[in-house]
Amino acid sequence: MATWTIEEPKQLTFDEVRRLRVRTVRGSLSVVGTDDQARLEVTDIRGMPPTVRYDDGVLEVGYDDWSQPGFLSWLLGRRKWRRHAVVSVAVPRDCPVDLGVVAAGVVVSGLRAEVRVRVMSGDITLAGLTGPVDAETVSGSVEAHAVAARLRMQTVSGDLTLVDGGGEVHARTVSGTVTCDLAAAGSGEIRLSTVSGDLVVRMPDRSDLTVRLQTTSGQISSAFNALKRTGRPGVQVVEGLLGAGTGRLWANTTSGNVALLRREPEEPAVGDAR
Amino acid sequence: MSTVFSHGRLRLYLLKLLEESPRHGYEVISLLEDRFMGMYAPSPGTVYPRLQRLEAEGLVTHSQEGGRKVYRITDAGREELDRRRDELATLEADIRSSVRDLAREIRDEVRGTVRDFKHELKQAAREMRREQRHENRHRQERSEAPWSGDWTGSEPHVRGWTGPSRPGDWGGPSAEELEQRLQRFLDGTHQLAYRMQLTEAQVRECAAILDEALDHIRQTLRHKG
Repeated sequence: MATWTIEEPKQLTFDEVRRLRVRTVRGSLSVVGTDDQARLEVTDIRGMPPTVRYDDGVLEVGYDDWSQPGFLSWLLGRRKWRRHAVVSVAVPRDCPVDLGVVAAGVVVSGLRAEVRVRVMSGDITLAGLTGPVDAETVSGSVEAHAVAARLRMQTVSGDLTLVDGGGEVHARTVSGTVTCDLAAAGSGEIRLSTVSGDLVVRMPDRSDLTVRLQTTSGQISSAFNALKRTGRPGVQVVEGLLGAGTGRLWANTTSGNVALLRREPEEPAVGDAR
Repeated sequence: MSTVFSHGRLRLYLLKLLEESPRHGYEVISLLEDRFMGMYAPSPGTVYPRLQRLEAEGLVTHSQEGGRKVYRITDAGREELDRRRDELATLEADIRSSVRDLAREIRDEVRGTVRDFKHELKQAAREMRREQRHENRHRQERSEAPWSGDWTGSEPHVRGWTGPSRPGDWGGPSAEELEQRLQRFLDGTHQLAYRMQLTEAQVRECAAILDEALDHIRQTLRHKG
């Protein structure tokens, strides 16, 4: 096992990384997939220096006084909030990553393996991920582009956006909006919910979904004529079957509006325009 | 642990350093450290054996100068280096590119895409809501008070009519198309202007076009009306 205490800006390279785990406080955290060698850069260090551990393909970045189970209780010490570091890591594309930061923006890109991100305050940016992704922030937004497999995103006060989504999507926010562009809807389950934010979903003309859109005090509008209004007093519902109805789309909001848009076949996704 | 120089890349870079000038071993080590911003911290234990190996292959030679070995590249070494120029360029690019910069680029790109996309969908949703409201209102009007189509009278007799201040109703049914067109025009322009970074000159030019169009419309309406 090798250990480094990073007191000044440093770059390290590793022959093999099979798992990455990062726990930092403030600053920023980026993880990108690479076909080259794995490497780690740490800059802008303030407060206690972070520690890097490398043991048999497992790379860990964190603080030495972080005790294993209780991330939250560890946070309770006030002085810890002063810790700051900009951590950037390039890992092999099939390396699972587990990231936790307190107040920092997180970027994750170009991975095929499982991704797990927990942020208390900060935005999460996801791009080009084909493994299952679980992204959670308390106050911040999640912006995902080309996340093909299973995406679970959650926030309290930010917006959730998915451009070029593929498979299963679970998105939940309290006061933010949910905006999704689904490339091929018809297999997994898509569950979207907000309390007060608007929900906008665009999907291809030929989708195979069982749909149920619901709002208590907002408005629902849909570009799919096959869906019918079935609400009772106090709840508006638009539901029905599209195509074979194999997948499920479930969108629920308390006071937001719901809009289900149709993506014309010739209209490429925004992200394809490059 | 840790070499940037897997698959014979260190060997390649050693040749490159010696091509620049003859150097002694310690100089080679500190140059490696400098060039790679601390990313690669080579030890004498990895560098000296490689130099010896290169020498055994006839790619470098050494001479004793002031008690230190000074290594220099041979013609065979230069040939090998020439054959692998592309590889060398890739190696140098790889090492210079910072993960942080790359991640920042990715983040900015995703943000831009997401911003455009959200804007586009918000517009589309708003348009759809308006259209559907419009349809609903029509349906209501048709069922509540179907009118004759002769809509030139100054006294509107349609229930639900709230006066000419309601923009949806100015000019009667024939003007409805105009209203829709105007709205589509607005949305279209808005979308175009949002997507591009407009320069001041472009804004002035567009404004001139608009003024001209308004003049035309004014004339048309004055003549025909």
